[in-house]
Amino acid sequence: MTAVGPRELERFAAGSRLFATGAADSSYALAHDWARAVIGDGVPVRQASDLDPGALCVAVTLAGSTTALGEQLPRGDEPERAVRALERRLGTRAAAVVALNLAAENALIPLIAAAALGVPLIDGDGTGRVFPLVEQTTYTLGGISAAPLALAGASGELVLLETAPDRVEDLLRPVVLSLGGWAVAACYPMAARDLARVVVPGTVSLLLRAGTPGAPRSAAAPYGVRTLCRGRILAVEGSTGHGGELALPSLPSSILVQESDGLRRLIRLEAHNEIVLALADGAAVAMAPDQICMIAATGGLVVDVDKAAPGMEVEVMVVKAAPVWHTQEGLALGGLRAFGIPL
Amino acid sequence: MILGVALGGRAPVAVAVRDGAFAGPADPRAARAARAACVAVDLEPAGAAPVAVIRVGGPCPPVLGPLAGWPDGSGVATIVRGGHSLTGRPLAPLDTDAVRAFAAGCGLTDFAVTATGSPVLADHELAVAAVVSAEVPGARITLSYEFGRPGLREREGDAIRNAALGPAAGRLADEVAARLPGVPLYFARSGSGLVSEHYFRRYPLACLRGAAASHARGLAALGEAAGVPGPVAAAYGATLAVPEAQVERIVQARGRAELDRVLQDVRDEVLTRVVSAGAAPGSAAIAETIVNPLSYLPDGLYRVLVTARGAAP
Repeated sequence: MTAVGPRELERFAAGSRLFATGAADSSYALAHDWARAVIGDGVPVRQASDLDPGALCVAVTLAGSTTALGEQLPRGDEPERAVRALERRLGTRAAAVVALNLAAENALIPLIAAAALGVPLIDGDGTGRVFPLVEQTTYTLGGISAAPLALAGASGELVLLETAPDRVEDLLRPVVLSLGGWAVAACYPMAARDLARVVVPGTVSLLLRAGTPGAPRSAAAPYGVRTLCRGRILAVEGSTGHGGELALPSLPSSILVQESDGLRRLIRLEAHNEIVLALADGAAVAMAPDQICMIAATGGLVVDVDKAAPGMEVEVMVVKAAPVWHTQEGLALGGLRAFGIPL
Repeated sequence: MILGVALGGRAPVAVAVRDGAFAGPADPRAARAARAACVAVDLEPAGAAPVAVIRVGGPCPPVLGPLAGWPDGSGVATIVRGGHSLTGRPLAPLDTDAVRAFAAGCGLTDFAVTATGSPVLADHELAVAAVVSAEVPGARITLSYEFGRPGLREREGDAIRNAALGPAAGRLADEVAARLPGVPLYFARSGSGLVSEHYFRRYPLACLRGAAASHARGLAALGEAAGVPGPVAAAYGATLAVPEAQVERIVQARGRAELDRVLQDVRDEVLTRVVSAGAAPGSAAIAETIVNPLSYLPDGLYRVLVTARGAAP
């Protein structure tokens, strides 16, 4: 049986960053140190289908801003408090914890929750990539509601949200802000038999392999990855505001990349919090729900949209989304239209 | 004539620069007539002093606590109640009694103070400084908000390293000043730029790798093929920089007009600071402004990094 112990943690953490955006260094380092201190000999990793079919499984994630987490440190009991609140509401103990997604902090916080509760971590997650909204998951696509959802804040706050599935995000945002900008959420309570049906399976094991020194980055992409181009950023238009050229962040931004070799195409990346569409010389070549990301030529880390700057050398990669995201329902929840581009 | 001085070898190396041009080794008798001296030095963490570390915020897992993972002898630490959230909301009133008790009992004089949320609002760090200086005469206090960067643990680390370097930096500045009485002193920063002697004594961390940065700058200017000894290149490189200062903050603004106004406040602050770093007041100018909205938060919170430069008087 697989377990995440001290040695595996280093591989898991490294694997969780390979395609992660929005992962501020401070909050990632904090979650890593925190996890190292609590996992003990190891947290067991189980397949959802190996659990008792009726056993309660709970998704755990960071809600809100990683910058806020890096500034206002956790008390340490947030993951456990959030899950316990859901257990009290449901009258059942959780038998396992599962991740919402496995990007940086969001891979480590479910692990911390599982360690604190003394339950296994499920080998899988709810996206196979990262989406910005709590409801953009394969769990939602499988008919599971994110609510009831419990939020634990760093000042000891506890909030339980109970609402229709499509209202969760609306209610969540202002509450998270008033908790200081971040909270740990326990959500999507479901039976193991349901989880086995809706989870993107095997992604924890995948990151453990992909984070092994020397493994190719492509090992972290469960459904394949391709390089769109290697090139230099020529221009960033819209939300970044370098050099005092300001615009409000709610506006989308565009990043223009000149391919360094081959056809020397101009690649335009349309971003709205993350990159959702890539055009090569005007033709659409990649789009959500597939994940488009820029990897810095020096250092190999993902370049966040709001840190992209002219002159940077990047590799533009496209991570293929799980098949369920390419169904009609999947495209409605995580495709271009969900990001406001009616293409 | 401007003097470039490289420290760190067996003996200081000084070069003369006239009208911006390299003029060879400096005559020790002429050195005291220099208009200014620019010093390149790498500070050694080995000489670091133990630090009294005060964190203002809530309880946290021990592994995330102040000085967790630091070598033995780094100092003593406490967490006191207080701080602000990123939105500027007070988390708790500042526990000034706890600050006073720790300051009186810690037995140290070099303090590093870090409050939760200080890149947004530094009030609690300033209040801690007032309590500490009343309790410990002659205390040297580093406030983390001066280093600005978000990420409490990283900013606290900067404040601790700065406080630990303080005594050694002060002795070093005393030695150079004694050799060059009456000559205004500047110290090379780690990246680009210079700071005044006064600024160096307060913020030595800014100059941690001043010799390495000056060496690279000097080599680039002289040409690598020239076969110039390292310390000579570093001494010359120090004279090629100008006073520079940065301010990093998180600001809250609803709408463009309010953002413009808070940006102006940050610009005014960095202009004041670059003058404190030795720029002639009339020469200080904003060199760069970077504004990034914080992601996954509602509109209105921005990370702002402003750099100012000026000419040495």
